[in-house]
Amino acid sequence: MSSPAGGPPLAALQDLGPRLFDWGWVSNNLTDEIIPALQGHIFLSFVSVTIALLISLPTGILVSRYRKAYPPVTFVTGLLFSIPSLAAFALLVSLPGIGLGWQPVVIALVAYSLLVLIRNVVAGIDSVPEETKDAARGMGLTPRQILFKVELPLALPVIVAGVRIATVTIIGIATIGAYVGGGGLGDLIFTGISRNFPTRVIVGAVLATLLAIIADLLLLAVERYLRPWARERRA
Amino acid sequence: MIEFRHVSKTYPGSSRPVVNDLSFEVLEGEICVLVGPSGCGKTTSMRMVNRLIEPSEGEILINGEPNTKMSGTRLRRGIGYAIQQIGLFPHRTIADNIATVPQLLEWDKGRIAARVDELLELVGLHPEQYRDRYPAELSGGQQQRVGVARALAADPPIMLMDEPFGAVDPINRHRLQDEFLRIQGEIKKTIVFVTHDIDEAIKMGDRIAILKEGGTLAQYDTPENILATPNSEFVSSFVGADRVLKMLSLLRVADAELDPPNGNGALPRLREQMTLRDALSALIGSGVERGVVVSDTEDGVRGTLSIEAIQRLSSRAEAGQHGE
Amino acid sequence: MGELFAVFGRDDFLSQLLVHVELSVVALLIGVAIAMPIALATFRSPFWAAVAINTGNIGRAVPSLAILALVFPLLGFGFTPSLVALTLLAIPPILINASTGLSQVNPQVIDAARGMGLSKGQILRGIQLPIAAPVIFAGIRTSAVQVVASATLATFVGGGGLGDLIVLGLQRNDPAVLVGGSLTIAVLAIITELTFGLLERTFTPKGLLVARKRRGK
Repeated sequence: MSSPAGGPPLAALQDLGPRLFDWGWVSNNLTDEIIPALQGHIFLSFVSVTIALLISLPTGILVSRYRKAYPPVTFVTGLLFSIPSLAAFALLVSLPGIGLGWQPVVIALVAYSLLVLIRNVVAGIDSVPEETKDAARGMGLTPRQILFKVELPLALPVIVAGVRIATVTIIGIATIGAYVGGGGLGDLIFTGISRNFPTRVIVGAVLATLLAIIADLLLLAVERYLRPWARERRA
Repeated sequence: MIEFRHVSKTYPGSSRPVVNDLSFEVLEGEICVLVGPSGCGKTTSMRMVNRLIEPSEGEILINGEPNTKMSGTRLRRGIGYAIQQIGLFPHRTIADNIATVPQLLEWDKGRIAARVDELLELVGLHPEQYRDRYPAELSGGQQQRVGVARALAADPPIMLMDEPFGAVDPINRHRLQDEFLRIQGEIKKTIVFVTHDIDEAIKMGDRIAILKEGGTLAQYDTPENILATPNSEFVSSFVGADRVLKMLSLLRVADAELDPPNGNGALPRLREQMTLRDALSALIGSGVERGVVVSDTEDGVRGTLSIEAIQRLSSRAEAGQHGE
Repeated sequence: MGELFAVFGRDDFLSQLLVHVELSVVALLIGVAIAMPIALATFRSPFWAAVAINTGNIGRAVPSLAILALVFPLLGFGFTPSLVALTLLAIPPILINASTGLSQVNPQVIDAARGMGLSKGQILRGIQLPIAAPVIFAGIRTSAVQVVASATLATFVGGGGLGDLIVLGLQRNDPAVLVGGSLTIAVLAIITELTFGLLERTFTPKGLLVARKRRGK
């Protein structure tokens, strides 16, 4: 290392620089590794959120009608949610028929987001004022029409809030999925750690963080747009 | 007892004052009502008495001493405070709510418990039933009574009340007003009372301060005098076009000039304690111009009252309409 | 099945369990110690409260693994870097809930308290904190569960914990260790959720429970 003017502390910092972050590596491997990892991650997250929504919407609608089913559904999805992610991936991997790869990751990601999504679908439908539904009935709409034309549109802000939380969670946990072969930005992190190459780790972690934050802010904007009146967010 | 001396309040960044050169005095044991349209500064003025808001100019004296002499917190512990939304502490029992200021003043437990029960009785709530309840279990009217009890707890000589009966329906409001006047008859506090309702002001006030938009004092006088002789176009229109009838509702048949009985048994009966407004209404309704006045307490007829006599009383008020 | 129970008898099982609990508890405590003062200092000012809440919200979106991974280049491997990362993860839910809870206490109640002569400190201690307590404890509960779950990942930066067992199980293709470790963490997470849920209920003033029941929850 060249000898610096500022003395020992500055030397350590200068030392840290290139060791910490190697821009050269970034530009070299952008198209080979980084972009594919990013793409894989986005794909993984998107697929998981979509599948989870496809399950949660009908389930949520059903549960809002047949309240007795709500506590058991909450219990099961809550149980799924409380299994820490690495454990879930590991357990799924050890099941026959599922091995390493994206399958256990997607299954686990979907299972995690069910609780939030179903809860928000139900809460959203609940939040539709009784008077509005009554007026719709009075105007001669069938229950199906009320569902699609009145309840779901009005429940949308709360449902989107749930999608937002689910998406951010999924993006986060998908990073861990790389450990069992799911690919995505987690790959950069894990290989970076095992090869003691900080640049990889930083690129993976920062990109995952940015992805999560951008998704959060985008969906927040959608949520606010759907909800013109000011409301405080659910904690 | 409470004196406003050239009090003004302008908020920073605003060019117009919210309260403008207010000077008047509230006498001991009286209810002074601050009334006016929205934006007249009545609530701001009240809140300057206990220094929740500080005046930009002028001073407020309590018993001759400026209210800045002690800290705001200490000052407020000696002044009862009741607001429209009541603001009961939802996480404490009714008893604890009422006991708040006595606890701050470090009364002993026995004295506090006795006082809580006494006040609950006073506002018409059975202590055994209500002292351990929580605010969420009470109706709006009940909560408002607790609010008044809480303000009275430490037996402060002065009370500030900002639309304290505003959050209930009209029937309960009348009831609360009547009960409060009854209580005031017993305890004789010095009260600054804010309302936007001129009828409430006339009913509750010993003296009324009518404020104009921009925070200036339009007229400060007893309800009778304000109704009889409003000093401006603003006051007379604020008081209402039925000003004369309002004034008649403050006077009773017993106050009027009665003619001797004329032996006519077919005339409508008017009780002595009836308001002149109700008497007028009864006479107009029965189509005659004279009624027989009877006493509540003794038998026999006291005399007769004519519509003309009532009109003579009102003509004094007519003359007042041409005031400055 | 017998192999599963054998897992619990291993030496490293107990030690990793203890490390896991230790990491979680310390991270949570420090997280509370950082988040609460910030919330108390900012909740009265709309601007600073919004700053605190927005920062918290962004913090919540950050993936747990990312934070753990990012301490590695700066602080290396081991217990302390893991602790630092977990503490950072613990802060956002507490900060958000404490800020929102304190600033949303009914302003009329506060006005009445001020008007009656309670000092700022008395209002904070006697009124704002008790009323905000349920929301604050809900935030601590969310944080606790998140920390316990994320402590699993400490294994990747050498922090130890039950994640070690899972990784071991995966590497050696030993399902017993894998399942043993996984089940333990799951149970730990559930216990945490239930315990803090109980704590939340304990610290909710009775008057607020009554009000909640009245509104039909």
